[in-house]
Amino acid sequence: MDDKTYSLIGTRVPKVDDEPKMTGSGIYVYDMKLPGMLFGKVLRSPHPHAEILKVDTSKALRVPGVRAVITAEDTPKKPFSFVQNLADKLPLCDKRVRYVGDEVAAVAAETKESAAEAAKKIHVEYKILPSLDDPLDAIKPGAVKIHEDRENIAFEVHKEFGNLEEAFKTADFVFEDTFTTSRQHHACLEPRGCVAQFDPFGKLTVWSPCQAPHTLKQELSRLLEMNQGDIRIVKPLVGGAFGRGLVADMIEPIAAILSKKTRRPVKIVKDRPEDFSTSRTRYPFIMKLKTAVTKEGRIIAKQAEVIADNGAYNDKGPAVINFAGVCYTTQYDVKNLKYDAYLVYTNKEYGTAFRGFGNPQLQFAFESQLDDIAYKLGIDPVKIRLINANRPGTQTVTGAMIHSCGMVECIEEACAAAKWNERDSSSKKEALKVKGVGMSVVFHTGAGSRYYGYNSSSAFIKVSDDGKVSLITPATDMGQGAETVMAQIAAETIGVNIEDVIVRTGDTDLTSYELGAFGSRTTFVCGNAVKATAEKAREEVLSLAGEMLGVTKEHLVTAKGRIGIKESPDILIDAVPFGEVIKYGITKKGRSIAVSGEYFDPIAPTVSLTEGYGIHIPAWVSACFIVEVEVDVDTGFVKVLNVWAANDSGTIINRNMAEGQVEGGIVQGIGYSLTENFVIDNGRVVTDSYVDYKIPGAKDIPDIQCIFVEKKDKEGPFGAKGLGEHPLVAVAPAVGNAIYNAIGVRMKDLPFTPDKILSALRSKRLFEDNKG
Amino acid sequence: MLTHCIHLIVNETKYEVEVESKEFLSDVLRDKLHLTGTKESCGMGDCGACTVIMDGVTVTSCLILAVEADGKEIVTVEGIAPGNGELHSIQKKFSEFGAIQCGFCTPGMIMSAKALLDRNQTPSEAEIKDAIGGNLCRCTGYIKIIRAIAGAAEDLKQQERS
Repeated sequence: MDDKTYSLIGTRVPKVDDEPKMTGSGIYVYDMKLPGMLFGKVLRSPHPHAEILKVDTSKALRVPGVRAVITAEDTPKKPFSFVQNLADKLPLCDKRVRYVGDEVAAVAAETKESAAEAAKKIHVEYKILPSLDDPLDAIKPGAVKIHEDRENIAFEVHKEFGNLEEAFKTADFVFEDTFTTSRQHHACLEPRGCVAQFDPFGKLTVWSPCQAPHTLKQELSRLLEMNQGDIRIVKPLVGGAFGRGLVADMIEPIAAILSKKTRRPVKIVKDRPEDFSTSRTRYPFIMKLKTAVTKEGRIIAKQAEVIADNGAYNDKGPAVINFAGVCYTTQYDVKNLKYDAYLVYTNKEYGTAFRGFGNPQLQFAFESQLDDIAYKLGIDPVKIRLINANRPGTQTVTGAMIHSCGMVECIEEACAAAKWNERDSSSKKEALKVKGVGMSVVFHTGAGSRYYGYNSSSAFIKVSDDGKVSLITPATDMGQGAETVMAQIAAETIGVNIEDVIVRTGDTDLTSYELGAFGSRTTFVCGNAVKATAEKAREEVLSLAGEMLGVTKEHLVTAKGRIGIKESPDILIDAVPFGEVIKYGITKKGRSIAVSGEYFDPIAPTVSLTEGYGIHIPAWVSACFIVEVEVDVDTGFVKVLNVWAANDSGTIINRNMAEGQVEGGIVQGIGYSLTENFVIDNGRVVTDSYVDYKIPGAKDIPDIQCIFVEKKDKEGPFGAKGLGEHPLVAVAPAVGNAIYNAIGVRMKDLPFTPDKILSALRSKRLFEDNKG
Repeated sequence: MLTHCIHLIVNETKYEVEVESKEFLSDVLRDKLHLTGTKESCGMGDCGACTVIMDGVTVTSCLILAVEADGKEIVTVEGIAPGNGELHSIQKKFSEFGAIQCGFCTPGMIMSAKALLDRNQTPSEAEIKDAIGGNLCRCTGYIKIIRAIAGAAEDLKQQERS
């Protein structure tokens, strides 16, 4: 199979769901209208921290068109979190609010306008409490408790491997640095919304732009104290996700309760400022690194202490600080490792999953420090990475099994493309606009995580008498192209045209239980299940065709929706369409083709949460990005000019989409590096519009050269691994390293805004003047 | 509440619509004419998702009062394909070049591209970037969108020649 040429794998076949999107006929939650649908509006806390003394809804109820007003009294008051034993969030606050935007009450009305007007007329009496907006203040002894029943440190991770003390003692050099990162907002173009509808028999349907429909179903069953079997989640087209859709948004249980109360469907859509202020963000990290190296540049010990700003509630925070540590302790072949991370409550918009899941933060810190170490040791930044690179067929001290691994090839190919050896390596260039180049290497999951003790998937395929192949898969498409990848895998395996594959997904009544689209896992995990199912379907079709044509199935081949006999003189003319074979099966044999299949990751159920840290990741992807920047030393403005991005994600299933993930990840990473400066002042999000929170536009983008080092993974479908997240991870450190190369200042705090660049330049000049 | 009766031509169809003074064109298109292809993402004219062509010029329809659109001719993403299952060159190229991910910015992007190609058949890369400078995309990184628009320009030129 290895050197086989494929008809669909590795091509640029267009996405199967382009048409509804480009003609305007596609329906997002934002576009949904159901008969009798009401509009919901949430009343949110204006204070970062306060006691709720009294909620008076009487005036709101009198607004014309209002059909229901709810408070905590109308909810089960059962605290919720993604990890249930860390539950801390009520859909509607009962006694306390903990951030500006916390849900207090909600309204359902005939029109958006009356809902908004009624929400304003709910009168809430608050007793304002002292609030905390800095995690470093929150961990001080005697700090105000954000949750009455627990400390402000919400969760901790502690991991140690090898002998740190010994390593730091015997090292030639030990480097210590502190780095900090900012909040980044998903800023999805579709504002977060939902529609909830109870039927008269108590069954709830929720339409949500989510990434994990089955998880959302479980979450809503906890939030609403309902049986899972009474909940159906439907995911229509999704207008951007990037992690935003992984955990329930409180508008979902709120809309459900409003629907139950009114017996009408209820739609809640956040407006843009509300989306920025309440749809959750990337976690900001404060990271202290201590790294020991030999004078030749071999890393002998890595130690990180992380303080992550949780915001007001837990959500994905525990998993994020854990995963960041898994990547940190696995990247590079290092034997002595220590990782301590603390997730700290503050009275701010809380965090959630975001592309990279903690790895962008810690990789920014480590890859920046590693460049510094290289410069101080007088070693080429490329060489120090090559010396320490992870290699295929190895196991790290953390227990990570590294099967396929193209880290070295990524470094070499990125360097060749960027002409690294011809770069100007001096950092003292005299000009108003100074160019510089920098690099970074990233190591990330390409197959999700075994952390849940389950990392499997299944699929269902039916082949119809019209020759169409219906595929039901839980692979969740949020624009990244999961449906197309699954269609390609099914069509390639069975031997039909991609146009003949109908993909059905995004409905928990239809698809098998599955974890969802995160951790760059869909292509690997769901893809494997689809491939196994498609192989079964092909076998069944061949067996039927064999009976029909009077040959054994070894003599049959399938291609482009037809089945032919290998030995036939004119295979194209003699070949029989799939549909005819299926018709034969149905009418002559009473057999139809409907099969299910699965991918089972046998290691996942055996994984212990406390041991073998690295074993949580089934397959690793690596990348090396080289970035060229231009720094305007007068204004402090940084422009990224070029990115050479070499990626090892195994076999590429769809080249257009793979490049799209890399390019999109890079541009989102440029925003994270330079312009996406999320500001919270006194607990209130100031940057609550696209003007104030600047995501890159078409004029802000560099030239990007995508390189794919296709090291086949033996476990991946056709040798493929994941690709969604790592491109973002690699950007910020490479930009920081390029800035260092350009102007000789080490930027340790994201984003690198002009004021920070200018201030760093001033300090450097001052330092040099004093020295001179 | 003050209402007005306005007349619009949208995608070559004439409409008479009762609107409120404070209603915007995007509301009329989406809620009254059921043309939900025109997206709305920010409601403040910052993102370009609601871009439509009004009397030949792109506008962010979330900033145009419905009464301002009275008597105007409007083209939305639903109105650019020639029909009979055929797609417009821009649509074809968006798909061919992989320029669509989540798709929420796509209608606005396509309308900005169409307005550009209607007035300039040989746009430079800078002119393309300029034309979509007000259309935000969070997924693609814009590169494939820019190439798709250049490809569509090429396609349209060839169609004209033949």
